[in-house]
Amino acid sequence: MISSHVRLIASLNKDLIFRCLIDGSGSDPKEKKSAMGKYVLKRIIYSIFSLLVVVWAVMLLVYSLTDRSAIFQTDDVWNKRSNNDRVLYEYTQYSKYGYLEFVNFNNYSKQKWTEVYGEAYDSAKEFVDDKAAIQKTGEAYLDNATVQEFINYYSSKGYNIIRLDTQKYSTGKTKPGGTGYLLAVKERLMIVRLFDYIKGLFTIETTKDVADESLTDRYIRVEKDPYGGPFAVVGSGTTHKYLFYFDSRFPFIHQNWIHLNLGVSFTRFRGQEITSVISEPAGDLKTIRTQYPAQLGTDIYVDTASDFHTLTYNMGELTAAEKEQFNDKYTIATYRRSGLSMLENSFVIGIIATVIEYFIGLPLGILMARKKDSWIDTVGMWYIIFIMAVPSLAYIFMFAAIGTRVFNLPYKFANAEIKVLAYILPTISLALPSIGSLMKWMRRYMIDQMNSDYVKFARAEGLSEKEIYSIHISKNAMIPIVHGIPGTILGCLTGAIVTERVYSVPGVGNLLTQAINSHDNGIIIACTVFYTTLSLISLILGDLLMAKVDPRISFESKGGR
Amino acid sequence: MANNVNVKAVNEDELFTFINNDSIESEKIIAPRYSYWKSVFRVFFRKKTNWVMLGILALLLICTFVIPVFCNYDPNENVTVATMFNQSPVNAMKATGGFSFKWCLGSGQLGNSIFYGIWASARTSLLLAVICAAINMTVGILMGAVWGYSKAVDKVMLVVYSIIANIPYILMISVLVYVIGAGFWSFVFALTITGWVSISYFFRTQVLIIRDREYSLASRCLGTPITRIVSKNILPFLTSVIVTLLATELPSYISMEVFLSFIGVGLSASVPSLGRMIQEAQTAFLSYPWEFWPPVAIASLLTIILYVLGQNLADASDPRTHM
Repeated sequence: MISSHVRLIASLNKDLIFRCLIDGSGSDPKEKKSAMGKYVLKRIIYSIFSLLVVVWAVMLLVYSLTDRSAIFQTDDVWNKRSNNDRVLYEYTQYSKYGYLEFVNFNNYSKQKWTEVYGEAYDSAKEFVDDKAAIQKTGEAYLDNATVQEFINYYSSKGYNIIRLDTQKYSTGKTKPGGTGYLLAVKERLMIVRLFDYIKGLFTIETTKDVADESLTDRYIRVEKDPYGGPFAVVGSGTTHKYLFYFDSRFPFIHQNWIHLNLGVSFTRFRGQEITSVISEPAGDLKTIRTQYPAQLGTDIYVDTASDFHTLTYNMGELTAAEKEQFNDKYTIATYRRSGLSMLENSFVIGIIATVIEYFIGLPLGILMARKKDSWIDTVGMWYIIFIMAVPSLAYIFMFAAIGTRVFNLPYKFANAEIKVLAYILPTISLALPSIGSLMKWMRRYMIDQMNSDYVKFARAEGLSEKEIYSIHISKNAMIPIVHGIPGTILGCLTGAIVTERVYSVPGVGNLLTQAINSHDNGIIIACTVFYTTLSLISLILGDLLMAKVDPRISFESKGGR
Repeated sequence: MANNVNVKAVNEDELFTFINNDSIESEKIIAPRYSYWKSVFRVFFRKKTNWVMLGILALLLICTFVIPVFCNYDPNENVTVATMFNQSPVNAMKATGGFSFKWCLGSGQLGNSIFYGIWASARTSLLLAVICAAINMTVGILMGAVWGYSKAVDKVMLVVYSIIANIPYILMISVLVYVIGAGFWSFVFALTITGWVSISYFFRTQVLIIRDREYSLASRCLGTPITRIVSKNILPFLTSVIVTLLATELPSYISMEVFLSFIGVGLSASVPSLGRMIQEAQTAFLSYPWEFWPPVAIASLLTIILYVLGQNLADASDPRTHM
């Protein structure tokens, strides 16, 4: 895993250096800057293109080749329903998860007669007749005019008409859930699904979001924040009331303006939005003493977990209590929860491990190169071989066994009494292997540099070994290492699969594998987008950072092979 | 080397004697006969650790391919005998009456023999690694050679590569295994369908570097056919690169199988595999260590030995070490 990642980056490096050597370097800085801008733009466009191709390919694989009915294996509602009701439920779920578009005849006739009779549609004779028609067995239902209309209309639009005949016992009584249905169903094309998915990825709130016509006063403006922050951007007509605000929770600056929607979970977090699943904490409710918006300034305090920064618009009628507590119709708040979100858990572990990795791995790599063929080098090489060759699982369990037996550290994350201690073993398990691979590459690059002419020249000039190593060699050897830094940092956001699984860390690393095990296609697609985007961004950032560190690298693409 | 020069009878008094001036003999250039592979193995076997490693590898291979032939591993043989579940080696041997190799590592969750299990599983892992490495290396090297040599192919393949390289490898394999099922051959398919691309890319760069070297250019100017350039100018240079690649690829498939089975997208339950054994034992790895550590040890031993031997062979196959 690690090796494939490192190899990929290393080979890209070589390519870039290769290209740069051919391109030459002595161009003036202004030209260089514009060439860089052009290069970055090209890379971004290219990255977006490959992201689209990847997502489309994964959608094609996952949505068309897997058994879509697997989502019902753990579905309680599905288990409770039977006969036709169950089939109808399946179609509802499929359409909810974007597999198909479907129209129920009952809704169609309801809509039709509402237009004619208004609110009194369900007592209208035609509506009752239409309803009864569907319950007839055999072909008898086709006599009804509305049914004919429905079939003709949707057939012409490319829908399949599906008729679920009323299921009856031999006594003539309808079986439970056996009522007849008439449905029009159309499979959605993969390219349409991709397009819709991409379109829905980002939503920006505007003052036109709330469809309530009674709301006339629509604005977005900066106001004084009554709940702690210095100021807040408040919207009316937007879905959220507070679009931009500060509070005491990490990362202290929050916004509800732009939403990233990675899709909906199918089975694991049934129906929940994946973005909120991974970014919101799932601990216990946290109550604090605060005041309702309408009671601000009075001495009425309330202990609640509701976070009034997250208020959203209430489309229904307000209760009497709500009218007393709120000035406007923004009354729905989410609860404050303690603990860290999945994303934060993974990131905390990852980032600490990364810091340890660079602070220990780099000096050790340099030391190994300096003391080449000494015992330090031999011991280091055996460590590297061990890390490179042995399946990561083996040594993670080894660390777990040593940590729990010898140092008495908590093993499973959830069982830890002191929460901080629970982070120690996952962090170490993540850092130690990375130290190995970093040592390997640092040593390799150092040794490559040690034989180059400029080192011999520096030595001939009379520089001390210490100066040569610290000023000349390490600086040059660091260049390829620098390329991997953005990837390592952004990689913390994707979590670590094995480590998180072994220690049961509630992080994002496990998300993909659990999704696969529970047939959650929604999460699989979301993970694809998330991981691929992160790896694309880190490659671009890595190249840019490397160009920043090494002035010899230019992005002009003239000449070449 | 046989000395072909005729030596006259040595005069006791003189240290130097005249020899016949043989014009035909003097035209011959006498150089030590050089055989590439002979030198490779001479350098390779000079290291004592390689002998030890080869010995262990041979032992492991014999165990892996001979034991499953004679001792059929049936994971469900004791599935109805609850007293045999999760038995430590001592208890398992006591229960079956005295010492036996079969129970010398205890029994697993369903009363299966761990000792037989690890060898049957190691066989799967090794076969998987060898098959995947063979396919990926062959396709990768052939494609890489074409890719490096033809500029038209290069343009197309660079686009394909940049797309495939952008997909996280784990993601792709897990999704593929999830989609096409978890049998042995579908696993091979998932590992090889795109696995060759990165090898190919690596190889392309190597070919590119050597293709434009001066001696290759000179050879082309002199009219050497492409096949000869490839086989005589380029391939010998790449032998050590190929061996290095093989040394990292072979163990990586074993690790990959262990990893994927562990996260639950690996081989199906009907195929014994190291990853699966580890995955089944991992929840109780502190309470039933005999179920967990043997498969881990075998997997680690196999990968380490293959890796070290491969690296040493790669070092030996570099002609610069043949001095």
